[in-house]
Amino acid sequence: MSTETTKERESDPNRDVPPDAAVAADEPKPYRKNASPEKGKTIIDMSAVTKTFFRGKEPLTVLDGLSLAIEEGAFEALMGPSGSGKSTLLNLIAGLDRPTSGKATVAGHDIGAMSDGELAKFRARHIGFIFQSYNLMPVLTARENVELPLLLTKLSGAERKKRAETALRVTGLENRMDHYPRQLSGGQEQRVAIARAIVHDPTILVCDEPTGDLDRKSADDILELLTKLNVDFKKTILMVTHDPAAAERATVTRHLNKGKLE
Amino acid sequence: MVPIKYNVRNLVVRKSTTAAAAFGLALVVFVFACALMLANGIERTLGRAASPDVVVVLRKGSDTEMTSTIEDKHVNLVLAQAAQIGASKKPVGVGEILAVVLLDKVGANGVSNVTVRGVTEDVLAFRPSAKIVEGRAANPGSDEVIIGKGLKGRFTGMTIGQSFELKKNRPMKVVGVFDDDGSAYESEVWADVHIVKQSFGRGSTVTSVRVRLDSASKFDAFKMLVEGDRQLGLVAMREADYVEKQSQATGIMLKILGGMIAFFFGVGAMIGATITMNAQVAGRSREIGTLRALGFSKGSILFSFLIESLVLSLAGGLVGAIAAVGMKAVKITMLNMGTFTEIVFGFEPTAPIIVSAVVLSAFMGLVGGFLPAVRAARVSPVEAMRG
Ligand SMILES: Nc1ncnc2c1ncn2[C@@H]1O[C@H](COP(=O)(O)OP(=O)(O)OP(=O)(O)O)[C@@H](O)[C@H]1O
Ligand SMILES: [Mg+2]
Repeated sequence: MSTETTKERESDPNRDVPPDAAVAADEPKPYRKNASPEKGKTIIDMSAVTKTFFRGKEPLTVLDGLSLAIEEGAFEALMGPSGSGKSTLLNLIAGLDRPTSGKATVAGHDIGAMSDGELAKFRARHIGFIFQSYNLMPVLTARENVELPLLLTKLSGAERKKRAETALRVTGLENRMDHYPRQLSGGQEQRVAIARAIVHDPTILVCDEPTGDLDRKSADDILELLTKLNVDFKKTILMVTHDPAAAERATVTRHLNKGKLE
Repeated sequence: MVPIKYNVRNLVVRKSTTAAAAFGLALVVFVFACALMLANGIERTLGRAASPDVVVVLRKGSDTEMTSTIEDKHVNLVLAQAAQIGASKKPVGVGEILAVVLLDKVGANGVSNVTVRGVTEDVLAFRPSAKIVEGRAANPGSDEVIIGKGLKGRFTGMTIGQSFELKKNRPMKVVGVFDDDGSAYESEVWADVHIVKQSFGRGSTVTSVRVRLDSASKFDAFKMLVEGDRQLGLVAMREADYVEKQSQATGIMLKILGGMIAFFFGVGAMIGATITMNAQVAGRSREIGTLRALGFSKGSILFSFLIESLVLSLAGGLVGAIAAVGMKAVKITMLNMGTFTEIVFGFEPTAPIIVSAVVLSAFMGLVGGFLPAVRAARVSPVEAMRG
């Protein structure tokens, strides 16, 4: 498969210091080196993946031999009834959890074969998270929240600050950088979270119902922003949603039902 | 690394729980520091009564002046021995007798032991650090006494112009108050040696001889001379060693007591810190899961929560230490375990005491915060996804 090409991306010496993350569209700097992803290059590759939870001794198979391939640069939506396993699948792709069986390869890494520490490094480098309830640290300002992923890099304090501010500008929050989450609206909080998700230039953005807690207007703004990140910045986006209007923004919509893709 | 401001602000945000846990830690540090400061105060107070060139001579087998007896004629022999090795200061030495009287406390119920020292007329010349600060010196051979300033006004009769009973129908009149740089002598009454002998039926004996040598280096020679005469049955020791022995019992007792209180309170305060931090970990599991999802390692989460507990305990420790230093202003009356008499002490802080108190708080924070920090490190990154 695409393992070869994704490995190449790994060994790029410039990758250690992430390139200037989210540079606004009007700024001339190139956004990232893989700004024009090769069409057809698979970045997420799941084959015959199962995930079984145990409630006491009672096994519960949530994902049942699921196979899936997603190309770099795609914007895919994942829909399905509650309890169908959408979040479970997202957790595997994001390296938060390991499959019970089958193989999940994301950005060239075998999720099932990595230790907890390796998974943490994998997430820090490749995954940007956008959660339904934003998950910002209430005691940190917008800028400090956005800086968090950069604390895991070797960047200097000044450079971290600069990049956090750039990311906040991309999400339209240049006037709210020193606000605490409780001083922001839900839509603004989610914009901070999106800035945090892109600041370290991850390979994939993983969103679990990113508009679930927002009103229609704010939700549309967030979807607009995600579309911009996909179209202008070539971000690969995987989004779980219940909202048909949200799914419409995606280039592909998949349906999950009882642990299987339809 | 998770930034430390994340921990500090979390502590600041939950003011009341932080304050409650920090208060418990502050209390332990306060008690611990106070006990050490008091032990130090006692040692220093008693130690001030010692001069390097003074030797105390007691009956062999007696640890304290209270239990020693020396015949008057042997006093002269000891003084002659001092002269023999070239002691030239005037007076070379003094034979003194120690007794105890029970006096009523002023402003409190009950009585207490007060030390009366029967002194010769040249006592003030022998102890140059002692100075009359009020009234005048006593007339030799009379029933006049001078009192240390630690006693002044604390017992009935302990005021210039008033009297107290040395024995039934043996009133003594206070004519002066002396100061001795805060030493234990300030808790004594100095009366005429002959009158004390008579009143306590000691015949022609005293309890101790103190000799002032020309230099501390003459001690060994003097000791050989005194102890070499087996007939006398006396021992000679440096005044500093003698005083240290006297204060040891009290100092050790205080340190043990302080250590025990600090230990039991400390266990309580540590459990308090554990409960507080555990509640935090439980309440912040989604935040912790999010940090883990962002890529922070288990180790950095463990470290972050240890830091939070450490900052909490150091805040408490500093408050406790500052309050303890404030105790400098307080004077305290205690039973001296060496002589079973009352003596006045202060809390005397030193840098090592304050440092060890703060280190103690840090230790409690790290131990108390350890299990919650382990719990935090174990929070699954999947927690971030749970609504
Ligand atoms: N850690 C776990 N232990 C046991 N069961 C779990 C665990 N995580 C998920 N499940 C179960 O797996 C099933 C799928 O859960 P999942 O969260 O993936 O659903 P979902 O499609 O995201 O639903 P929703 O739309 O409500 O978010 C549910 O029945 C859930 O109870
Ligand atoms: Mg879900």
